[in-house]
Amino acid sequence: MSKITVFKAKKIITQDPNTPVATHVAVQDGKILAVGDADCAQQWGAVARDDSLSHAVLMPGFVEGHAHMMAGAMWNYAYAGYHDRIDPDGRMWSGMTDIGEVISGLTEYAGSLEEDAPLIGWGFDPIFLPTERLNRHHLDEISTTRPIAIIYSNFHLMCVNSKALELAGYSRETNAEGVLKGPDGSPTGELQEMAAMFPVMRRLGIDFRSLAQQAPSIRTYGEVAKRAGVTTIADLFSTMEDSDLDVMLEVTGAPDFPVRIVPAQGAMGATPELIAARAKDLGTRSTDKLRLGAVKLMTDGSIQGWTARVKWPGYVGGQPNGIWNTVPDQIYALCEVMQREGVQMHIHVNGDEASEVAIDAIEAALRRAPGQGHRHVLQHCQMMGRDQFERCAELGICTNIFANHIWYFGDQHAEVTIGEDRALRMDACRAALDAGVHMTIHSDAPVTPLAPLFTAWCAVNRQTMRGRTLGAAQQITVEEALHAITLGAAYTLRLDDEIGSIETGKKADFAVLGEDPTAVDPMALKDVPVLGTVSGGQVHLL
Amino acid sequence: MIDSRLPMTVIGGYLGAGKTTLINRLLSAPHGQRLMVLVNDFGAINIDAELLHSADEDTLTLTNGCVCCTMGADLFMAIADVLDRNPRPDHLIVEASGIADPQKIANAAVAEPEMRFGGIVTVVDAGSYQSLFSDTLIGPQIRDQVACADLVLVSKTEEIPPAVALGLAADSRSAPVLLSDADHVAELLLLQPDPASKPQRGARAHPDYMHWHHSADIVLSREELARIVETRPPGLFRIKGFVRGRPGRGWLIQVVGQDVSITPADVPGDTHLVGIGLSAEVTVQDCEVWWRGAEQLSAAPAKAD
Repeated sequence: MSKITVFKAKKIITQDPNTPVATHVAVQDGKILAVGDADCAQQWGAVARDDSLSHAVLMPGFVEGHAHMMAGAMWNYAYAGYHDRIDPDGRMWSGMTDIGEVISGLTEYAGSLEEDAPLIGWGFDPIFLPTERLNRHHLDEISTTRPIAIIYSNFHLMCVNSKALELAGYSRETNAEGVLKGPDGSPTGELQEMAAMFPVMRRLGIDFRSLAQQAPSIRTYGEVAKRAGVTTIADLFSTMEDSDLDVMLEVTGAPDFPVRIVPAQGAMGATPELIAARAKDLGTRSTDKLRLGAVKLMTDGSIQGWTARVKWPGYVGGQPNGIWNTVPDQIYALCEVMQREGVQMHIHVNGDEASEVAIDAIEAALRRAPGQGHRHVLQHCQMMGRDQFERCAELGICTNIFANHIWYFGDQHAEVTIGEDRALRMDACRAALDAGVHMTIHSDAPVTPLAPLFTAWCAVNRQTMRGRTLGAAQQITVEEALHAITLGAAYTLRLDDEIGSIETGKKADFAVLGEDPTAVDPMALKDVPVLGTVSGGQVHLL
Repeated sequence: MIDSRLPMTVIGGYLGAGKTTLINRLLSAPHGQRLMVLVNDFGAINIDAELLHSADEDTLTLTNGCVCCTMGADLFMAIADVLDRNPRPDHLIVEASGIADPQKIANAAVAEPEMRFGGIVTVVDAGSYQSLFSDTLIGPQIRDQVACADLVLVSKTEEIPPAVALGLAADSRSAPVLLSDADHVAELLLLQPDPASKPQRGARAHPDYMHWHHSADIVLSREELARIVETRPPGLFRIKGFVRGRPGRGWLIQVVGQDVSITPADVPGDTHLVGIGLSAEVTVQDCEVWWRGAEQLSAAPAKAD
C-alpha cells in the first residue's frame, strides 16, 4: 500500500453535492482517496499529514476549455498591451496606456536584448488608444538599427520600424495591399493581414506555430496555467506534427509538469476522413498529462473584426456580413465524418449565423450517424440566443461561452458592432443554463489573459471596461460560475469522470486559493488570490 | 537578364469546381517547368504511374521535376518552406481552399520581394455557378473569388452557357475560358518568355494564343512606362520584358492579368518585350498599334543608322 497524505485546508469547496464542503482531503497515488474531516481516511490505514495548505481554500483545479499553447510562447516576446499582465515568472508587466509608454517600456526591454537582435512585441491593441496610430517613427525612437515588430492583440496586424521595413524590402515603391502608406507616399510601418506581414515575419524569424511547439514554450504554458490555478487546459487548434508530438510527450511526461494539456487538432488541410483518422491515431497516444483525439473546426471570423457571420439585421455600421473560413458544405461534411467516427469536435462560432450552421450540421450528422455521448462543443457562442441553446440541449451539444468579451469588448459591441440590444444578450450564460445546456466559460488565452476566476467574475457581474453592467438578465451566480470553470469545463473535455470535482477516485488536482470565492463580494471574485495548484497530488505553490 | 523572383499563381474556386482537374493538367503538361503545387489534400490528385517518381504522406514527386505537397494548417509557413528550398522551383502554384479569398494569398507574392505575382485563376462550375452566386450564405465570397481573378476558367462544359457568361461578364474583369482548354492555359500562366531571344523559327504557336515580340532601342522613364502599360490592349494577359531607362539601367516589367509590376533592373542592351493573350481578344496588330504610342513618347528617338 503506497503512502496516504492527508492535506488540511481552511476550507475545501468540492463541487460534489454529496460533500459540498470539507476541511481535509486524503491523497494516494495522485488520486483522491477520501474527502471530509481530519479522520476522512481513517478506514484506509496509516496516513501522513500535510498542513502546508492549512491556510488556504482548496477548489478543484480549474479547467480552461479554450486557450492556445501560444499563450506560453508569447512570453518569448515583449508584452505591449494596454492591461497589466503577469508573466509566467510572476513578473508584472504594466499596461501601456499611451504610445509614450509603449516607446519607453520597449526601450527599456530592448536593453535586455543582444545588439541588433530583433525586438518583437505582442498584445498591442489600438482599440484602447484612440489617439494617433502607432507608426514606424514611434518605433524608430526605440532603435533605428535593430528591427522591431509589434504584433497586435488580434494577430492580424503589426507595426514595424524603418529597419524592419528595409529588411522586408518595403519602400515607397511597394504596392502591396496591407502595406499602409502615409501622405508622403512612404510606408507608415503598419502592416495589415498575413500577406503583408509575411515578409517581415520570415526575415525576423517569427513563427508562432513552431515557437508554440518548442519545449520551453510548453513548459511556459504550464507555468501560465499554474499561476491561474489551472490544472487542465485545452490547446484549441493544434497543428502538431509527429515530431512535435514527441516533444509534447517528453515535456508533459516530466514528473513535475503541473498541468494536463488537451489539444484539439485543427481540422484543415486534409479530407474529413484523413482528419478523423489522424485524430483517432493521436488518441491512442494519450497519456495522463496529454489528452489527444479531439478536433477543432473553424467557421466564421470575429465580431470585433466584423468578420463573424451574423444573422439579420447584421452590423449596426452597415458593414457587410462576415466571412466563412470553412465553407458551410465543408462544415456539414466534417460534422458527418467526425460524428460517424466518434471524434469529438470543438467548433468555433462567433456570430449567430455561424452557430446556426454548426447546430444544423450536427443535427444532420446525428440523423446520418445517430449516437449519444458525442459531446461536441460550440466554442465562443457569443450571439447565441435562447432558441439556439434549446437546440443544443435537445441535441446534446455543449457550449463554451466567451465571457471575457463582456469586459474587454462589451462597450464596443454595444456601440459599433452589433448594437445595444443584442450586446445585452451576448455571451448568454443564463440562457444556456436555463436551457439545460452543459456549459463552461473561457479566456481564449492569449487573446485575453488566462484567469478562470476573472472569467467567472465576468459571467457573474457582466461589467464592461467603462463600468456598465451589460445585460443583467444574463448574469449567473458565483456558484454557477465556479461550477462552470471546474466540472462544467471538465465535461466539455470528456474528463468529468477524472477531474472537475474533489471526490473519491478523481485526480488530486486542486486550485490553492488565498480566500474563499464563495464568501467574498461577487465583485471581488477576480481578486481572490491564486497561491498555486496541486496536480496529481503534487503541490506547486507560487 | 533574368527575373529570379519565384512566381506564385493562386487557383481559387468553390469545392468541386474543377481546381484539381486544372492542377492535374498543369502537373503533367509538357511545359518543361519545375512546378511546386501546394494543395489542401491529395484526395483527387491523379498522376500517371509513369510520371510519378515517388510519393509519401504529404509529397508527390514527379519525373518531370514537378512536386505536389499538402500545405498543412499554415499556408504561409508552407510558402516560406518553398522559398527556402534549394533549388527553388520555377513556379509556385497554390490551391486556395473552397471558400478562401485567393487575393489574400496572392498578396503575399506582391509583398514578398523574392516572389512575383503570377496571377489568380478562379475555376467556376458551369452547372452550379448560378445557384452558388445567389446563395445567401456564401454568394458574396463566391462572387469575390471571380471578381479578383485574372483568368476565369469554366469547367464541366464544352460551351459556356449564356446565363453563366452573362453572370461572369458582370462579376469578372476577364473573359472566361473553358477549362477543357487547360493544356493551353498553362501557356498563359507558366510561360517564362525570355524577351532577349527572338521567336524560334518553326515553333508553332497554338492558334488560340497570340504571341507578340518587340525589340527596339527605345528609352523610357518609369512614369512613361507605367502610363503606357495602363493603356495596354485588353486581353494582353502576360507581358514580360526589360525596358531601357538611363544608360545601363532600366526596368523589369511583369504584367499578369490586371497586375503590373515595374522594378529597377540592369538593362545593358535594348528594350525587349514579349506578350501573350487570347487570340479571341487581342491581335498582334493591336499590340503594335499600342506600342507605337510608346515609341512616340520615347525620350531618345531611334538612331538613323
